Amino acid sequence: MPDDAAIALHGLVRGYGRRAVLKGLDLEVSQGKVVALFGANGAGKTTLLRLLATRLRPSGGRALVFGHDVVTSGHEVRRRIATLAVFGGAYATLTAREHLRLDAALRDTPNDDEAFTALLGRVGLADAADALVRTYSSGMRKRLGLARLLAADADLWLLDEPHAALDHDGQDLLDALVAEARGRATTVLMATHERDRSRRLADASLVLDDGRLRLLDPGESP
Amino acid sequence: MNDLLAVLWVARKDLLHETRSKATTVATLFFSAVTLVVLAFAIGQDESLLRGAATGALWVALAFAGVISAAQSYQADLEDGAFDHLLTTPVPRAAVYVGKLLANWLFMLLLGLLMLPVTFVLYGAAWPTAWPWLLATLALGTLGFALIAVFYAGLTANLRARESLLPVLMFPIVVPILLASVRASGALVGSDDLALAQGWLRLLVGFDLVYAVLCTAIYHFVVEE
Repeated sequence: MPDDAAIALHGLVRGYGRRAVLKGLDLEVSQGKVVALFGANGAGKTTLLRLLATRLRPSGGRALVFGHDVVTSGHEVRRRIATLAVFGGAYATLTAREHLRLDAALRDTPNDDEAFTALLGRVGLADAADALVRTYSSGMRKRLGLARLLAADADLWLLDEPHAALDHDGQDLLDALVAEARGRATTVLMATHERDRSRRLADASLVLDDGRLRLLDPGESP
Repeated sequence: MNDLLAVLWVARKDLLHETRSKATTVATLFFSAVTLVVLAFAIGQDESLLRGAATGALWVALAFAGVISAAQSYQADLEDGAFDHLLTTPVPRAAVYVGKLLANWLFMLLLGLLMLPVTFVLYGAAWPTAWPWLLATLALGTLGFALIAVFYAGLTANLRARESLLPVLMFPIVVPILLASVRASGALVGSDDLALAQGWLRLLVGFDLVYAVLCTAIYHFVVEE
């Protein structure tokens, strides 16, 4: 395994009950690469992201994030990652600003209100910064997820259907943020159904099919 | 990250949620009050019987309200994957547990403090001379209950039948806490027997310590699937 591998999977297996979802995945993603992950509904894309985010345990094999095993060094893994959930992952009874404060406290990053205001302005939530999330549309919740992603200052972004629920401007913003992330050598793994947009952004595109990974274009390198 | 700060932020998040939604407050206040009134009504006019049942009725009301409170404490977490997001931050799982425990315990303690005078009035019980020990019993009893309730609520949070499974799983474990709490507060309210109450309180402290160590140590198995 190269030292700079952001993600390394070795025979990774995961099932739910008797149903095997991931059937021995092998993969290495170099640091700073943007990788799109495609697959039908139920193919296991979210399962793979949750395994890498230390939310699920593998049934077999190993998954390493920057050399740290997701099972035995989960805390070290979580120091390096940030996630974007399908529905944004926000609390309905907190405001956008309170989410950023909470994240900053939990991640031990600066709790800087001016920076939060600028960040929320960047994702188009300046006017809703102090409104409760329960008043947000699903697209606004996703935009808050983007703000939290940026604030996390992580080395690996794990994005689950990042384009979903966003309007056209929001999708353009997301694409711009991913391009910026690549510029900072942040690694991005995004599970998505947006083939055209994602393939334009990605260094490599993978397909998860019948529990196994394959490159969409064999000439690419993750 | 200072783990103690993480605990306080998680607790603050849960308490902030409750002050804004008031879902648990309304449900538990209503449920506790109804339980106390119905039990008093069932016991009837016999004053000595009523006085003797006062602390038992209080803990029954608190126990059932505590189940509602614990189940609700994960309700907000489950919406839109918010708990998933919280658990991908570099905070020890134990800190998340203790944070949720702290919020839940403070809520139960406050509920107990509100229900205490209501119980005394409804059941005609006299305020004990050793009242600080009654407050200590309330604090230790609700802490023990919250330790178990928050742990098992986390265990059942992702299950469809969580509302029915939570009490089935947790009540057998929480029985020692409830018995010790009822006995300690009964000794204080019924007969002002401080020595007897202190004996039960020592047992309560022991249970709390054992449950605190066990639940904190194995909580990560509960939240990692």
